[in-house]
Amino acid sequence: MGLAILVGTRKGLFVLRGDEERRSWTVDDPLLAGWDIFHAIRHDGDLYVAANNFVYGATVQRSSDLGKTWERSEGLALPEDSELTLEKTWHVEPGRNGTLWLGGAPGVLFRSEDKGATWAPVRSLIEHPTRERWNPGAGGMCTHSIQIDPEREQTMYVAISAAGVFRSDDGGETWAPKNKGTAADFMPDDPFPEVGQCVHKLLVHPAKPERLWQQNHCGVYRSDDRGENWERLEDNGLPTGFGFPIALHPTDPDVAYVVPNGDGENRVTADGRLGVYKTTDGGQSWKLASKGLPEQAWAVVLRENMAYDSLDPSGVYLGTQSGSVFVSPNEGEEWIEAASQLPPILSVEVAEWQ
Amino acid sequence: MAVTVVLPRLLADQAGGQKQFELEVPTVGAALRALPVRDLLFDERDELRPLVNVYVEGADIRERGGLEAELEGGETIRVVAAIAGG
Repeated sequence: MGLAILVGTRKGLFVLRGDEERRSWTVDDPLLAGWDIFHAIRHDGDLYVAANNFVYGATVQRSSDLGKTWERSEGLALPEDSELTLEKTWHVEPGRNGTLWLGGAPGVLFRSEDKGATWAPVRSLIEHPTRERWNPGAGGMCTHSIQIDPEREQTMYVAISAAGVFRSDDGGETWAPKNKGTAADFMPDDPFPEVGQCVHKLLVHPAKPERLWQQNHCGVYRSDDRGENWERLEDNGLPTGFGFPIALHPTDPDVAYVVPNGDGENRVTADGRLGVYKTTDGGQSWKLASKGLPEQAWAVVLRENMAYDSLDPSGVYLGTQSGSVFVSPNEGEEWIEAASQLPPILSVEVAEWQ
Repeated sequence: MAVTVVLPRLLADQAGGQKQFELEVPTVGAALRALPVRDLLFDERDELRPLVNVYVEGADIRERGGLEAELEGGETIRVVAAIAGG
């Protein structure tokens, strides 16, 4: 069993297969060529892909033979009385007991109980009483993060840009905003609203599920109480608080990685370099961890463009809109360019691959 | 008599690799709805997606009665994605 990186691009899904040391990678020909692959995962042996096309619309596709053949989900639609139509599929996340979750735009969530053959929209999020205060970010109003609490059976989270973080404690039946302490600096009349925050990526730590991390339009944040309160982590070594992805460590909840941008008006990496910043103390301080990354670069790194694996030492994975995939096989100590000259990269995930 | 529907490569891939379909159908709309890629041609409100162009014997169906245009049999229907994007 080896590792693969599932690289979603604007022109199909690329599978990068690695050696045991995660230092040498081969690039296979693209799957689903011509589709915008917003996200791809491997779960229970199957590939699930959020694939969009500007002509043919938003789909979820599943392959049970490593990409040789694909089946599209049927009837992916929002309720007619919602007056919403599905714009994009964004993120597929495995839940408990065979459930799959799908996030999409405009700020919607679906669940599937049949391995993605069909999906049911989650009404409570469509009809959320705060929805009229949600606004789309530059990428649309996307449900991009879905996180399952590994300890509490009924607890899960979604993050929507720009609506904020929402937690459900009843398996997705109801949703409560969890944005206390996260800023919406772009709303000068009310910089700490109940909803409307532009969260860019939300992750739950797998070994310490009360700890949440988020990279937001307005800073990097940590919560130690399942999102009840958030602490903004800044003036601590990061060049800016603006960025899109965030990656964690599989066992150490104090470790995180971010890629700061210049600012929200010029969304390229800060300081003219591709800089990954790592914290080992829960975000109290951050240090550049970019050995092997380009020292002169104005890279665009999107919200789904970081991942980490569960090996020891943990590998960290990074994709750019310039078509490069970088791998650190040793927790940010050094980086290797695993692939270059791919189409613009929309997502990276790591998967087991035989 | 059957009509022939020809799909572009991306749709043919989604139809299990089949590029051409022979169908006994009365209208253009019925032909498109009989395809295994119907959901890619029509949106969730059953409207033909705006960037999907359909030609019957080389003529855009928008100028020939749209989806309700009747078929005599023997025609070739071509589905073509609009030239747009990057």
